[in-house]
Amino acid sequence: MWKRALMAVLGLAFLGLAGAQAQQAPTLTIWADEVRAPVLQQVATTFTNETGVNVQIELVPFGDIRPKFITSGPTGTPDLIIGPHDWVGELVANGLLEPLALGRLREDFVESALEGFTVGGRLYGLPYATEAIALIYNKDLVPTPPATFDELVSIAKRLTDPEKGQYGFLHNVWGPDPYHSFPYVTAYGGYIFGKDAQGRLNPCDVGLERGAPAYQLLLSLTDQGLVPRATGYGEMASTFEAGKAGMIVTGPWQIKSIRDKGINVGVAKLPLIEGRVPRPFVGAQGFMVNSSGANKPAALTFLFNFIATTGIMVDLFRRDPRPPAFKPALDDSAVRADPTLAVFVASVADGIPMPNIPQMSAVWGAWSDAITQIADKQATPQQALADAVTRIKASLQCPP
Amino acid sequence: MMYTRHGPLGGPLRHLMIWLTIAFALFPFLWVLSASFNPTNALVAQGLIPEKASLVHYQELFINPYLPFPRWLWNSVKISGLSAFFVVFLTAFAAYAFSRFRFWGRRSGLLALMLIQMFPTSLAIVAFFLLLMRLGDYLPWLGLNTHAGLILVYMGGVLGFNTWLMKGYFDTIPHELEESAMIDGATPFQAFIRIILPLARPILAVIFILTFIGIYSEFLLASILLTGAEQYTLPVGLKLFITGEYARRWGDFAAASVLGALPIMVLFLLLQGQIISGLTRGALKG
Amino acid sequence: MPSPASKRRSSARHKSTGEGIGLTDSLPTSLMIALLFKIIFLSVADSLGVWAAGTLAWQRNWGLLSALLVGLTLLNLALLSRRAYPLRYLLPGLVLFAAMTFYPIVYTINIAFTNYGTGHLMSKEEAISWYERRYYQPEEGETFSFQAFKDEQGQLKLLLTSQKTGRAYLAEGARLLPISLPDPRPSNWRSLSRSELVQALAALQQLELLYGEEDVVRMATLTEFAVFRPQYHYDRAHDLLTDLETGKIYRPIRGTFVSEEGEELLPGFYEYIGLENFYRIFSNPQITGPFLRVFQWTFLWATLSVLLTFALGLTLAIFLNDPYLKARRLYRSLLIIPYAIPGFISILVWAGLLNADFGIVNRILEDLLGLRLPWLNDPFWGKVALLLVNLWLGYPYMMIVSLGALQSIQPELYEAAYVDGASRWQQFRHVTFPILMISVAPLLIGSFAFNFNNFNVIYLLTGGGPPIAGAQTPAGATDILISYTYKLAFAGRQGAEYGFAAAITILIFLIVGTISAINFRLSRRLEKMGEAL
Repeated sequence: MWKRALMAVLGLAFLGLAGAQAQQAPTLTIWADEVRAPVLQQVATTFTNETGVNVQIELVPFGDIRPKFITSGPTGTPDLIIGPHDWVGELVANGLLEPLALGRLREDFVESALEGFTVGGRLYGLPYATEAIALIYNKDLVPTPPATFDELVSIAKRLTDPEKGQYGFLHNVWGPDPYHSFPYVTAYGGYIFGKDAQGRLNPCDVGLERGAPAYQLLLSLTDQGLVPRATGYGEMASTFEAGKAGMIVTGPWQIKSIRDKGINVGVAKLPLIEGRVPRPFVGAQGFMVNSSGANKPAALTFLFNFIATTGIMVDLFRRDPRPPAFKPALDDSAVRADPTLAVFVASVADGIPMPNIPQMSAVWGAWSDAITQIADKQATPQQALADAVTRIKASLQCPP
Repeated sequence: MMYTRHGPLGGPLRHLMIWLTIAFALFPFLWVLSASFNPTNALVAQGLIPEKASLVHYQELFINPYLPFPRWLWNSVKISGLSAFFVVFLTAFAAYAFSRFRFWGRRSGLLALMLIQMFPTSLAIVAFFLLLMRLGDYLPWLGLNTHAGLILVYMGGVLGFNTWLMKGYFDTIPHELEESAMIDGATPFQAFIRIILPLARPILAVIFILTFIGIYSEFLLASILLTGAEQYTLPVGLKLFITGEYARRWGDFAAASVLGALPIMVLFLLLQGQIISGLTRGALKG
Repeated sequence: MPSPASKRRSSARHKSTGEGIGLTDSLPTSLMIALLFKIIFLSVADSLGVWAAGTLAWQRNWGLLSALLVGLTLLNLALLSRRAYPLRYLLPGLVLFAAMTFYPIVYTINIAFTNYGTGHLMSKEEAISWYERRYYQPEEGETFSFQAFKDEQGQLKLLLTSQKTGRAYLAEGARLLPISLPDPRPSNWRSLSRSELVQALAALQQLELLYGEEDVVRMATLTEFAVFRPQYHYDRAHDLLTDLETGKIYRPIRGTFVSEEGEELLPGFYEYIGLENFYRIFSNPQITGPFLRVFQWTFLWATLSVLLTFALGLTLAIFLNDPYLKARRLYRSLLIIPYAIPGFISILVWAGLLNADFGIVNRILEDLLGLRLPWLNDPFWGKVALLLVNLWLGYPYMMIVSLGALQSIQPELYEAAYVDGASRWQQFRHVTFPILMISVAPLLIGSFAFNFNNFNVIYLLTGGGPPIAGAQTPAGATDILISYTYKLAFAGRQGAEYGFAAAITILIFLIVGTISAINFRLSRRLEKMGEAL
């Protein structure tokens, strides 16, 4: 008798809790990194006050959001994530994202940002910011920014003194950092993926080789002792923030940190190379909706009625000054007051959207290796890039 | 080795070698320490002594509500401590059986224990996720995003090598000790608890420390199985400082690393006496 | 003073006393209590287990059910059978080990025979039901405002008003009934308060109301319902997927739905593809080409890592074990510092310190010796840097292990050797080392296996680089097998190819396992040599 009673009690403890969460008020779960989570906290409170739906913002390291989402997304958690547009290709391929119908709201967004979040004609993210790299200079060392690359070189020569740890121009191209070296490649007509007749990216048309003269140019700078071989992103940023570099090339994400160090910073468009405009990669940041989430209506309301408002977009800009992708926010006086904004917006306008198709994963490694070989003079730029293209095509299983 | 008060090499040379290794050991640590006091956010600054030393990074660790560092520290100590405690007991039992009993499948079992542990399971992170998810359907307190579930995963992952280590140590303890106890009427279990375990204190301490440290710095599993800053362990939390796409907060990261190293130092200080205690064992034998 | 060899022999005797508890005529009270405890424990565990098994069988969860039954049988065996007595000691560890180590291995082996990876993460059923749940809002689709009520019985009622036509509808079950306003019914109902509405939201968000032939009306945002049209139809009989918007027909080919024109639909699903992943490994020149070179370095890397860390760790342990050494507590604490910082942090710091142009190491070298070394950019120096950092990371482990293992050596052994006039080196060679090896040798083998697959150090310090000039493959000069194959599996045609990576993992495991098995044989021979002392 007692045995049966015990069984019943323990049985309840064992299995009973499973069904307990049936009729609860829904909670919207959002994964955001530590820069964006605090801004969202405010809008989340407003959302809860106005709709009654709770919002839980979970802090996830930026680099972990995508792999964790691939594992966890199909279980319905989280409802929303925040990240860059180049995640979209892989996530859509795995059926993890819900397409968004913006309707009239569409006109309020910067077209290139929408394009970044679009796969196969459907939009999979609500963009809030765009980004592209530009020339960042220390006004105390470089009063007027160079308009051409030749000017840049002569300024760099004047300022560089490695003995004192003083540099005129630092750039982490040899990092190896393909992303940061892409504008040079485009100035000579290089590209990543060509487009087919329908305007879709063709992963078997890789045009990196045309960028060989760009690396020749950069190599000559390094040989003159101007851009040290071992400049990584960290070295570039921290040298500049210590006031020991005249010019660097990077994006709006670094501006806040530079200002915090008290550097008198200016931003200019990338200088023309032999009269041609260097085109950086354009990235976009935005919100993506889990296709398996149980709270899609709530998630969409949160995005369309609360995020896509000037107030919150300006807040996001204050926290992390990347050009807003929401046009009304671009016209906001507080945003316009930031002198770097116009330049970064122009850089975005010049740029080329970074491909969001999963095949990009084959490009980064081969391209990085080519850059390293060029830097170490293991191969000529022409040869190294040709090898990289062969490798990319081989791993993408393109017909020869 | 027979230690004597003055060996031929016992004096300065030995100290020199130890100090050289200490210099090697401390070299990177000093740079982390320097970065933690340096208000600029460079991980490896140009000079060892920062121009304007300050405590801002340490303050930040205790006031930022979004990055609850004290909470991570506590989570890590709790998870590592509990896992290590249980692992010591589980391995002691298993190792005792492997060392003292002769049973079917003993040799192959031991070998399998070792070889299976060598399987690179880095691909199977998803398997752990699914396992805990299903477990959580039945026992929610062991499911995803619970510390109990994570402890379970950790414990299962370190049993193999530790069983070997402890079994090897048990093998060197003379059997006569238990046998005489059993002649006096003790069961094997009593002999194990009262005679073997006290003698094995050094290796229990070693396994506790190794397991504690191993789990304390584990990152991959914790990052997949836990969500939300409140639940994070130290390494997962630390990564929040440096993976903000480009804006990396090396200073806070360094300060957190320095403070994060303290529990391990304290633990080692507390337990090193136990590790060394074996030398007194000879006294036990008549 | 028994020698290790006599200890071994005595263990044979132990076997006969393996079962100490026997049901003799007069049990001591303590044994009675133990027996009672055993019976109570077993009956509770068994009844719980049987009940849980029933539930699992009802849920058709066969995998968990069989695991449960095996565990339950072992538990009973352990506590009831005399022959299975050792199982009592082994069972708790064994169960955990099986769940947390064995299961992931089974999982990996399973996916090695599939095309599991980016675009193929769902099973076919999951993928089909995913497609069946895809809807699109037709151009100029109708939207509805809504009001929720509770009727007289407290049932949830929903009144929808089309924003296009102004018509009103009542939700009845899964259908929409047109009503003409003013309808008397809603006036008797009570409008939901806001908090009630939020409570009902979970149900409302799942609601699908049939509207016309195929369309459904679902909640679109928190304030609106809208007409949705199913995007796809799956024909089970012919295994075909039709896009209802474009009319295109897709058939499943190797885990992907493909149209007549060859257009592929994403996502696909995973399928068992037999040995294809393994075949790809052996037929792909990108893998077979650099294999030997990569394998050589992997082997060298693992061997040197173990030897260097063990040599340094053991030396320090012997020093620190000396009761006459001054300040040894301080030394011990300082020497484990590398172990106190999580590995990924220290590796990042080392990468900064070893930077060829900005790093401190080169600046010191330049000041002292006037030379700069291309630490991370040169095949040779890259390897040196890796070994150096791994030595830094690994020696504290060896030191702690050796410190512990040294305690198992009876001081009397040294006294005897000392009396015999053995030198320090002879003491070490013939007493310390052989006995130490009994407990440490397996760990060295384990450490070899660990370093053989030590992805983190390679990935974070050199990333496998520098790349090899003119190479058509991504294998860098410092790539080890695991880092290289991961490059192949995760930078391929379509993002991550887990199935392929799993196949490679299994092969690497076979290699490591074989090497380790050989090592075990060698070390056993070594131990025997020690015993013959």
